[in-house]
Amino acid sequence: MSLDVVKNNTSHEETNGYHACGVIKGGAVFENWREFPYTNVSHHGSTCCEMAREWLYAMDYTQLNGGSPFTGPRWLRQRYNWGPTVYPIHWCEAIEEKTLDCGALASLSREVFKSRNVRAYPAQLVQQFTTNATTQWQKKWSEKEASTHWINDDVIYHEGCAILTGGNEIKVWDSSAGWWVRPVPQNGYGSLLALRICTDDRNNISVFQWGDHKIAANRWQKFETQQLAAAA
Amino acid sequence: MKIYISGLYSGTNPQPGVGIARSLRSAYPDATLVGVEYSNRCSGIHWRDFDEIWLQRPWEELSLPDYAETVREVLDSGALWISSIDLEIMWFGEIFPDGHPNLLTPPMSALRQTMKPEVPAHKGLPVEIPTFVTTDLSDWELHAFCRQHDWKVWLKGPYYEAVRVRTWADLEAMRGILSRAWATERLFLQTHVTGYEESVTISAYKGELLKCVQMRKRDLTELNKTWAGDISEVSAEFAEPLRKIVKDLNWTGGAELEMVHDAAGKLYLLEINPRFPAWIHGATITGHNMPGALVEGATKIKAQKAEPQAEEFTRVVMEIPVRPDFPLPPLPEPYTGAFGHSLKHPSGLIEFAQRLHKTDGNGNGNGNGNSNGDHKSENRIADVPPTFLSDLSNFDFSRVETPSFLFLEKTAEQLFARAEQLAEKLSTDSVSVRNAYSIKTNPDERLIALARKHGFLAEAISLLEINKALEIGFEPEECVLNGPGKWWRKEYLPSSPMRTVFSDSIADLNRIVESAANGEIKADTFGIRLRTPNIPSRFGIPVDTPETFRQLIESISLLPRNSRFGVHFHMASSNVGVAQWWSLFETMLRWCSSIEALTGRMIETLDVGGGWFPDDWHDRSDDHFERAVANAKRFLPNVREIISEPGKALAQPSMAVAMRILEIQEIADGGKEVVVDGSIAELPMYFFYPHRILCKDVRTGMWQALGRGKAHLLGRLCMEHDIVATNVELPEGVGVGDTLVFCDAGAYDRSMSYVFGRG
Repeated sequence: MSLDVVKNNTSHEETNGYHACGVIKGGAVFENWREFPYTNVSHHGSTCCEMAREWLYAMDYTQLNGGSPFTGPRWLRQRYNWGPTVYPIHWCEAIEEKTLDCGALASLSREVFKSRNVRAYPAQLVQQFTTNATTQWQKKWSEKEASTHWINDDVIYHEGCAILTGGNEIKVWDSSAGWWVRPVPQNGYGSLLALRICTDDRNNISVFQWGDHKIAANRWQKFETQQLAAAA
Repeated sequence: MKIYISGLYSGTNPQPGVGIARSLRSAYPDATLVGVEYSNRCSGIHWRDFDEIWLQRPWEELSLPDYAETVREVLDSGALWISSIDLEIMWFGEIFPDGHPNLLTPPMSALRQTMKPEVPAHKGLPVEIPTFVTTDLSDWELHAFCRQHDWKVWLKGPYYEAVRVRTWADLEAMRGILSRAWATERLFLQTHVTGYEESVTISAYKGELLKCVQMRKRDLTELNKTWAGDISEVSAEFAEPLRKIVKDLNWTGGAELEMVHDAAGKLYLLEINPRFPAWIHGATITGHNMPGALVEGATKIKAQKAEPQAEEFTRVVMEIPVRPDFPLPPLPEPYTGAFGHSLKHPSGLIEFAQRLHKTDGNGNGNGNGNSNGDHKSENRIADVPPTFLSDLSNFDFSRVETPSFLFLEKTAEQLFARAEQLAEKLSTDSVSVRNAYSIKTNPDERLIALARKHGFLAEAISLLEINKALEIGFEPEECVLNGPGKWWRKEYLPSSPMRTVFSDSIADLNRIVESAANGEIKADTFGIRLRTPNIPSRFGIPVDTPETFRQLIESISLLPRNSRFGVHFHMASSNVGVAQWWSLFETMLRWCSSIEALTGRMIETLDVGGGWFPDDWHDRSDDHFERAVANAKRFLPNVREIISEPGKALAQPSMAVAMRILEIQEIADGGKEVVVDGSIAELPMYFFYPHRILCKDVRTGMWQALGRGKAHLLGRLCMEHDIVATNVELPEGVGVGDTLVFCDAGAYDRSMSYVFGRG
């Protein structure tokens, strides 16, 4: 994931009492990414990036085709493969790429939701995979000289985009997969272990409602999974 | 306990019988489960949970009255019966209109409340029914429905089958196939709902809701059938009205409410199936044994508790041993030269549907035609505008050579006048709305002259067309030049400035820049045509990649600064649909807004080509146009002129084609093959939309529109596809030498007609 990105998050898990709520190699599941900033695509401050941004907004308007503004911008994932991105990356570079990582995809998704007047927030996720998967990713990212800080054994850091759908209710868009993350705790491959919704909108929403879960803004939250007796 | 379970087909679109058996085996390990099937080709008969197999002859062979007696004896003996075949359930409803204590299917009164597409039973549930029409409507109205819904529509049979129809040709072909298959003219068209599919499944006995669960599809087959799903509780908001409905309907048996959840969160009910779904054992795996609950409700014998093994289920394909007493039948011989073996539905369900429709029709339980509320098709006939008839009265058809185009003068005059009035009405102090007549639509001089008379601009795609407009009296400053081949032929380039010239590509734009700089091309406004980014088109400058967009922005800056700047886009609303066209209009405004912001060139002229189907432009569009003008101004505050191109909407009704009957041949089933002296050479748009056809009533001498029937009108050409109308009804007494008038032929039918087969 990105290291040289614009750092925006200022609030961390230590300040809100969510310590030690998951254990991986002696720490919380999100321990490695406790301080990790979410990704922003940078802007050169000139026409090149402005043109890129206008193209993205107009293309999203086209793709939405009069549909609900809450529709996930799956067209982005159809246009860009998921893979390593080297940071920093600017608007004019990002949209010309053939491949973008989850951070860049999430950042672009966030921008298009905002352009639709939908309130959108960076969503940071920690997910369980397998070492078979993470070994492959480690190699692929290393070959492109991209950071592999997002991989830790069989657990990964991932980024998506949360949108406000009404009141304090949110949905979490996985921009890399092109689907909405289900707010249902699960075990195993691809399951969500922890989530943080980042916002500097402190005067407004401090706790988001995601399915049955309350998610405090800017705080990592671990998800307890329910083991079915018969399946155990 | 003995339980008969019918419907064991287990292909890629399976029936639920096997799943029901698996669940009942889990709930009642000692029960005797009897699998009922009507073909030994249904692989479910080999499933191990069936203690016995009761194989009947296929539906097409069965004596229904005898079989009804047999079923009654089974039920009277104390055995239960769970059917998972919709048609069988309806047939049971007729045999046992008030139910039978051991028959675990709904009574007929309840089934009537679940009939597609209305599904009257849904009232009270937080759902909507997607918009639909029945195919009783005239072809003209059906085409309108499809256009209004962007051709995102399904043609559905009365019981099963839904096919997506994307074009008029699709609709005509599939309507014929489904009507023949299900022995009914009464199909329906329903709008597609984009979203996530989910369903609620219930188990009920004598009006008591025993259990219900929600299932969301998580993986699908090629036919959009469930391959995996998750099971959850039904919300109280849904369950409470559902409980009341079950009680009101006195429902017995399983049922599945199939729904779609759209992106805005709205829930649409597609249908209520009067049986358990094929994935029903998936619910049992998650701890919800619905068939078990049904049998427990009916017998009061406690079912074994289903332990949840997971919250989600999926399917696998597996091979199982064939029962030795039901060896596999051989494959039928392939037809010579054919691909595959052409297997029809193994248990003869389609033939069963036909029998239900065709036999006595008195609702006596022997297979009548009323089980789906079906009735004789109303055969609605399309309305014909009075001006058509008035114009036709001016022709002496005994002297009209056929085939020939008829110019409907009063009709044309009225349409152009209305367009002029609408443009005036839509114009404001800050923006002028002008019509432009697209000469290519129909270059008939009478239409071009009418356009000029009513204040239109002339829109041309070649200098030849410009020349024609000038000959008829247009001035160069009243001409709009467009298209990829617009410079053909160069000797006709006007020497004085044209009103607007739009470039169709970056190369074209560069050429215009160069020619404008040396004074070769003069125009008040230079502009660009934008290619629609999400609908395939070969025209205009693309914006679908950042690179092409950047090129466009850079090139626009080269356009002459002493001229105005404009943007044109065109996509035929009759092809993409009305709603889609308006979305596209807003999309183009959004792109224009970006172009303005990035180039600093203010868009003063907006030219929107329409390709409007006449009814969409004349009857249902005033509000749309008013909103469009307001939106254009909102996105592009500097726009001063909006050019609208309603050519097709005006030209299409303005001409008709007269043709004579050459020969009438009676064919099987009361059909007729009627050869006419017209052809698709005069009606090349036949495949794209229905034409209203008029014929003189032999007795009254009045023109009347043809309804739907069994006659096919075959063109004079020796070409297989020269069929100018299918499934029409010729009035009594019409014969060889009589004239038919095909209306709505004044646009591309006229301009694209060709000479063929005339020697």
